[in-house]
Amino acid sequence: MVRAELVKRSPLRVLEGAIHGGLGHGNIAVLASPKGVGKTACLVHIATDKLLQGKPVIHVSYASRVDYIITWYEDIFKEIAKDRKLTDAVDVHDEIIANRVIMNFKQDGTKTEQVLKSLEAMITYGKFNADTVIVDGYDFSRPVCDDLARFKDFAGRLGLEVWFSASLRETGRPIYDADGVPAMLKPLCAGLDVVITLHALDRHVEFRVVKDRDHPAPGVLPIKLDPKTFLIK
Amino acid sequence: MSTDISRMRNIGISAHIDSGKTTLTERILFYCKKIHKIHEVKGKDGVGATMDHMELERERGITITSAATNVEWNGHSINIIDTPGHVDFTIEVERSLRVLDGAVLVLCSVGGVQSQTITVDRQLRRYNVPRIAFVNKCDRTGANPFKVRDQLEEKLKHNAVLMQIPIGLEDKHRGLVDLVSMKALYFDGPDGEILRTEEIPAELAAEARTRREEMIDAASLFSDALMEAALEGRVTEDLIHQAVRRGTIARKLTPVFLGSAYKNKGVQTLLDGVVRYLPNPSEVVNSAISLDDGGAEIKLATDPAAPAVLLAFKLEDGPYGQLTYIRVYQGRIEKGTDLVNTRSRQRIKVGRLIRMHADSMVDITEASAGDIAALFGIDCASGDTFAAPGLNVAMTSIYVPEPVISLAIKPVDKRSLDRMAKALNRFTKEDPTFRTHVDPESLETIIQGMGELHLDVYVERMKREYSAEVETGKPQVAYREAISVKAEFDYTHKKQTGGAGQYGRVIGYVEPNPEGAYEFVNDVKGGRIPREFILSCDKGFRTAMKKGDIIGFPVIGVRVVLNDGQAHDVDSSDHAFQAAAIGAFRQVYRKAKPQILEPIMKVSVEGPSEYAGNVFGTIHQRRGLIVSSVEDGIFSRVDAEVPLAEMFGYSTQLRSLTQGKAEFTMEFLKYGRVPASVAEALAAEHAARKAQDQGR
Repeated sequence: MVRAELVKRSPLRVLEGAIHGGLGHGNIAVLASPKGVGKTACLVHIATDKLLQGKPVIHVSYASRVDYIITWYEDIFKEIAKDRKLTDAVDVHDEIIANRVIMNFKQDGTKTEQVLKSLEAMITYGKFNADTVIVDGYDFSRPVCDDLARFKDFAGRLGLEVWFSASLRETGRPIYDADGVPAMLKPLCAGLDVVITLHALDRHVEFRVVKDRDHPAPGVLPIKLDPKTFLIK
Repeated sequence: MSTDISRMRNIGISAHIDSGKTTLTERILFYCKKIHKIHEVKGKDGVGATMDHMELERERGITITSAATNVEWNGHSINIIDTPGHVDFTIEVERSLRVLDGAVLVLCSVGGVQSQTITVDRQLRRYNVPRIAFVNKCDRTGANPFKVRDQLEEKLKHNAVLMQIPIGLEDKHRGLVDLVSMKALYFDGPDGEILRTEEIPAELAAEARTRREEMIDAASLFSDALMEAALEGRVTEDLIHQAVRRGTIARKLTPVFLGSAYKNKGVQTLLDGVVRYLPNPSEVVNSAISLDDGGAEIKLATDPAAPAVLLAFKLEDGPYGQLTYIRVYQGRIEKGTDLVNTRSRQRIKVGRLIRMHADSMVDITEASAGDIAALFGIDCASGDTFAAPGLNVAMTSIYVPEPVISLAIKPVDKRSLDRMAKALNRFTKEDPTFRTHVDPESLETIIQGMGELHLDVYVERMKREYSAEVETGKPQVAYREAISVKAEFDYTHKKQTGGAGQYGRVIGYVEPNPEGAYEFVNDVKGGRIPREFILSCDKGFRTAMKKGDIIGFPVIGVRVVLNDGQAHDVDSSDHAFQAAAIGAFRQVYRKAKPQILEPIMKVSVEGPSEYAGNVFGTIHQRRGLIVSSVEDGIFSRVDAEVPLAEMFGYSTQLRSLTQGKAEFTMEFLKYGRVPASVAEALAAEHAARKAQDQGR
């Protein structure tokens, strides 16, 4: 399969359709689930899809080591290339990694202002024309309202799509409210454009869109994550 | 001098630049009573640290050559191999590592695990060298040995365990708590030479208990006796030492020591650690390659009674002639012992045998398995193996990377010409990554090496040590050419008019070999090309690939498949088929869509976060690809892939942009395709040069 075809047939087109044509620049989405369900795999998959479309991606990570993240990208790319029998996989790979940069920050050591400053330096001084920013490992259990507003403002100013992951912790109370919105994210919802939750079922992981701006949330999507290959199908 | 092998240690000291490695070595020599006055690396007294015995190194404050120094500590004989810290001199580091049994990994308590630490640690890992860590500079502002321990675990995947905790940090760094004996240690006297033992300060007691438990937990994995003792509450110091030793030698545990060499703290306890936890030569398995038996591995016995095997790991030109540093792996040698250089087959007799202490030397009568010594008056190259007559073995060949940069040099006068030749002869013997040749077209002398600094140092050494003044050209990157598609050839070399005729025809195809190496496949059926000429074809293709057609650099990564051809009963010859192969390659090369490849370097820049934006900018300007950046609040590290051709003058630019606060390291990563615009410029330049040469 050639690259353009692969992009066209990606299951992520289903997600885009469900959230009214995609997240769009200037907006923030959150993928939420308890630990170990597959948030990082999904984020890397979303990033790889952007890269395959020729859109540069900055991957911001707060927790993992850089080589660990690179391994994620390598694995997901290999699986996609194999699954879809991508032609010229080696050339495509070389081309897309030139459009990806990983920025790692210590959670407790770095303020959001500093993170955004570094991101902006990468975009302006490093002439890295980012389209999408992935933020993995950001701690949502702290008071983050102001920080999210900063991210939102930043995304609008520089024309970026921003995808977060949020790890939902056991607190003794129900994780989700009646509408399926994570309780932890409820107070933040005004600042979030799209919220998607992941649920580990028997054989696969299910996606539910629980918030999509002012639109009614579409709920369960007809795509799923394969826990063996970590591919979205 | 003890000959008891259990009391012998061969260690190296490895570190990132400026972690205080030289100062630490100096202090070790001092406390071992070998020297009586401590000099600083860039001392005001103008003497300089004893270990950096080259004038040039003194000036630059870096250590370039590795000297082996012997000291005694607590009844143990310790050979210290001083390893250079800069990646440009990696071959020196690697060659030293070959002869080590253990290493001290020095880290800065502020900088922690830095880019170069990762490189040296990877090298130590490659040679299976057990290590202990020393967190130096605990007196510096921002010192945090606990953070450094965490980094050892996170970044280097060491199972690092603190053996000590600091009593005060930064300017309040006063001493250490030893977690084995549970005592506080202070280093008194003007040079910290008096060790005073006290009770642990009350405010540190709780922390010391917790850390000791962590340490015992980690160590007890290597000793059932310690585990039982811990459960029953009867842990002894000996049990801990044994367990930590076992874990360290198995390379599954890294004991961490603390201190400040500059402030004379913690050096003696580190030496105790070296003796206690690092292996003696008999605890390390060494093997040699049999030269008779198709390269089978032979285990060497660290036994003085066995036939001798030694490795020459370092040559030095001293005032008394060539000094050859050797490590004895098996057997023993003394004055008059007969040995054979297994590479050159030359027979030698051991003459004067000495042991080095930096600049001074002590005559010794013998050296036995496990020992490091130096020989006088032996002619050999570094990396050569010497063995007792009858034993035909070689120590494992040391991995030698290909040079990536070259420089034309021209002596300014006739006297310098002779001296330059002498210097080059010496340098190429000492350092296999440093090469030299005369370009057949321009007749210039070309030197090749691993980086700009690497060549700079040799040019300076020529001036200083050999008084050879040379002019240098512009550094030249070692480009390569490669084909990108499969293409077929059918070429006849034919000269049958007058005299002896020549005839050879070769048919087949070339294709890119993803392995990156040249490969020749003989697929000729039915003797269409006589067997004796197949080799001629192979040879011809190799010759053709020495110089590519686009910019005159070697062609790499080609698989040649020869599947048909034709020979003439009388007129075919070795020469004719070589010529046919060369012709075939010239014919097919352009069809195979050749490309220019350039060396891509892995570049790591470290410095305060405030300069990260500047660094991003410099990488972008230099056609670099930023792979990642890591920020931990104050410091940041940017990892990038940058073409070597764009790296000239980077240190100057970086220094001026960051007020000298950022530093970088680079090493060869891979060959990468040159972008079309650059390729065109290179090809045009090559064509112009060719035209000029022809016009001459």
